[in-house]
Amino acid sequence: MSGVAERDAVARCPGRRGVTTLPALLLAATGLLLLAQAAWIPAKAALAQKLLEGAFARTLAEGTAQPPWPWADTVPVARIVFPSLGESYVALAGSSGQALAFGPGHVEGTPEAGEPGTAVYAAHRDTQFRSLGRLAAGDPIEVVRRDGRSVRFRVTGHRVVRWDASGLDPDAPGRHLVLATCWPLDAVTPGPERLLVRAVAEP
Amino acid sequence: MLPLPLSPHHPTPLAPPAPGLTRNLLLGPLIALLLALAAGIAPAKAQQARTQEAREQDGSGTLLLRSESGAPVEAPRLKADAAITVSGPTARATITQAFRNTTAEWVEGTYLFPLPEDAAVDTMKLVVGDRVIVAEIREREAARRAYEAAKAEGKTAALTEQQRPNLFTNAVANIGPGETVLVQIEYQQPVRQSGGTYALRLPTVAAPRYSPAPTAVTAVVDGASAADPVPDRERIAAPVLDPARHAPVNPMTLSIDLKAGFPLGHVRSATHAIRVEERSGAERRITLADGATAADRDFELTWTAAAGAAPSVGLFRERVAGGEAVLAVVTPPASARPAASVPRDVVFVIDNSGSMGGASMRQAKASLLIGLDRLGAGDRFNVIRFDHSFDTLFPDLVPGDEAHLDRAKRFVAGLEASGGTEMLAPLRAALRDTTPEETGRLRQVVFLTDGAIGNEAQIFSAIAAERGRSRLFMVGIGSAPNGYLMRHAAELGRGSFTEIGTPDQVTERMRALLLKLESPAVTDLTATFSEPGVDTAPARLPDLYRGEPLALPARMEQARGTLTLAGRIGGQPWQTMLQLDTAEAGAGIGKLWARAKIAEAETARLTGRLSAEAADAAILRLALDHGLTTRLTSLVAVDATPRRPHGARLVSTELPLNLPAGWDFASVFGEGEAQPLPAPPRQRRAAGPAAQFAAAPPVVLPQTATDFEIRAWLGGLLLALGLGLSLRHRRAAA
Repeated sequence: MSGVAERDAVARCPGRRGVTTLPALLLAATGLLLLAQAAWIPAKAALAQKLLEGAFARTLAEGTAQPPWPWADTVPVARIVFPSLGESYVALAGSSGQALAFGPGHVEGTPEAGEPGTAVYAAHRDTQFRSLGRLAAGDPIEVVRRDGRSVRFRVTGHRVVRWDASGLDPDAPGRHLVLATCWPLDAVTPGPERLLVRAVAEP
Repeated sequence: MLPLPLSPHHPTPLAPPAPGLTRNLLLGPLIALLLALAAGIAPAKAQQARTQEAREQDGSGTLLLRSESGAPVEAPRLKADAAITVSGPTARATITQAFRNTTAEWVEGTYLFPLPEDAAVDTMKLVVGDRVIVAEIREREAARRAYEAAKAEGKTAALTEQQRPNLFTNAVANIGPGETVLVQIEYQQPVRQSGGTYALRLPTVAAPRYSPAPTAVTAVVDGASAADPVPDRERIAAPVLDPARHAPVNPMTLSIDLKAGFPLGHVRSATHAIRVEERSGAERRITLADGATAADRDFELTWTAAAGAAPSVGLFRERVAGGEAVLAVVTPPASARPAASVPRDVVFVIDNSGSMGGASMRQAKASLLIGLDRLGAGDRFNVIRFDHSFDTLFPDLVPGDEAHLDRAKRFVAGLEASGGTEMLAPLRAALRDTTPEETGRLRQVVFLTDGAIGNEAQIFSAIAAERGRSRLFMVGIGSAPNGYLMRHAAELGRGSFTEIGTPDQVTERMRALLLKLESPAVTDLTATFSEPGVDTAPARLPDLYRGEPLALPARMEQARGTLTLAGRIGGQPWQTMLQLDTAEAGAGIGKLWARAKIAEAETARLTGRLSAEAADAAILRLALDHGLTTRLTSLVAVDATPRRPHGARLVSTELPLNLPAGWDFASVFGEGEAQPLPAPPRQRRAAGPAAQFAAAPPVVLPQTATDFEIRAWLGGLLLALGLGLSLRHRRAAA
């Protein structure tokens, strides 16, 4: 009799372990999936910048807009350089979610940097424009346009606004540059606030 | 190049939530894309460089061309005239294109233009000064060589090539400084008829098309066949002018002599303002009310018979070399609807790619909503939307109840036009039949698109191979749809083709289509001639829907004896007999027969019924016998005397095209590839009427945070939890 009981116990044991390890496995797998997705976002941003750098160099050389990859719906329009931080990013036409996944976007309806008015470029706070917080008043910002002209701006200050009440007038007198990203910089969830770094063209 | 964003990541606050149901959570496609990107970088770059080089060599890509000295050179100006004579069931058109060189250089101009998909192009003439050179039909390569040789020798020459059955190029070499050269082409085409309305359509502009790139992913999936789906992508693309910055080019005049062959009722054009002059009861002369129009949309003329005068049968004959060509046009009677209508499973597919931006998208949405409203109690449905990606609204067919319809309507209303046009995958998804055994239900696919794609062959092959019991109803949207794709896809899918060119046609034409969907089709059609040795095209007759006629061209020794048409209308047998010797004289019927035979051979080649070699041989023979321009034959005309002085260089240009009316430039091209460099300092968001109309809108800032940190935290947490759990159990077990 006891032999039978023992066999039963042995038989039941792996079954019970199977039932309890399944949720653990699922949890771990979901966790891994999410981690992979999380890793993909900055990886894509970094990879895209490499391709954009090449396309922008070709744009300057050829004199016509060059898409960064054959099926791209956007083209590189400018290189934004932060000399004080030693960083530089190629910006794209348009600020759709698609464009921003790859690099800073030139916000629709605003002039090109260096033209009269307020040029606005936006980028993700957790990829390219994380460094906006480290720009201080007086720091230089350089924008190389696709016609090869390079315009130098000087940071005048920071401001935090709501996304739908930026108060930015694209036709404001003077030659201004505004870089925008989400605020607060270290928040984890998307919010309505934006950090604006304002700069003015050097004469 | 049309846009194709890599992966929608973060909807901006302006845009509604991405319609993708679980797109953001799908890691698989992202990895596939990364692989494709990594593997595709090298060849893609090479191709990009080649395109650029070619464009530099042509010196084209924009209206202004850079010559070696750096001074801009202008493309020739083009003016076109169309003179069309409709004689009963056929029409003969003469299109005259005047290439005017306004520069001080010798110029070669290439013009990409559309023609009706069933046009049989048989004549081309080149007019230089007072000399008229009539073109010869040659095999494509031979014609191209003759043209290139003449071009190099400084002779004026013209070459008409078919790029698609509805897309042609005219190249003219050695147009002298300040000179105008005329190229005149002529074609024969059948008059279309449906539900008692006769229609003639003249496309005037080649809409920019999306040509899918050969991807590394395709290579992996399809094995070795990583062939380019659009090997001739450069030949079907031309520079397109942004209507916001350029006045329309390529003005066109038009005159039509309409000899209907029966007393006329209404004569109308939904696309252009026309002037109609009454010559007699059965004859009209039609001209454009405004004189000239910009070539930026299809021209459509429709007419009906006077009340009670509509012929139910048309029978025409023409003497041709070695026999007679006969054309029979028969409309089977519309049967009364059966008492119990057959329940239907309808899959609606809607194109929301960039080329649909503007008026087309609104028309497509309105049409789809009408389709949803007409679903009956026992019907089931699903909705698929596509651009470069696609989404299926429901996992499977769902009943057409209020809750599901509401959800579908919200889904459709939220669609916005952007991105490329990858049509193959959504088409396959729509044809996928999960219940092929349910033969008691009709399975119908209603496909709304402008068809602005270059990989037609892929689409046709997929339809032929995967249609199963589904019927494919193509709905062509917009001012310049790809009629070849639409009509041929509908034929292969045993459905019908409906054209909706303007917003006010939506209600009327969708109603006609829905009537077709709900009424029983005429099936199992056969045509039997009492005489032997008759060659018909097509050999296998299609099913017909309510109001559609059967147009059957045939070739025989002599038009005599009888033709018996038989079939089933909603299960009831139907039969009619025609006496062939009563046929009236008709013009150009022999050409129509040859054109139909060529189309049939092309289909047989695509669907594998004929080997490529056999089909090509048949097409070449028909084309050379009848002098027709086809995929394998071109028309070439060469002036006898060399005129360009030795040492004078020749500048090659591609003529710029208008953007089809109602299209949105930014949706199609993004912010301008192939634009002159002083590019627009401002771009407007395509889908933001508020932003477009407000006087000075404050800048709206996009969403600029990703959720990768949340994902990372959550991922880490779950992983730790999972590991902890399994560890505890292992301990407990030990």
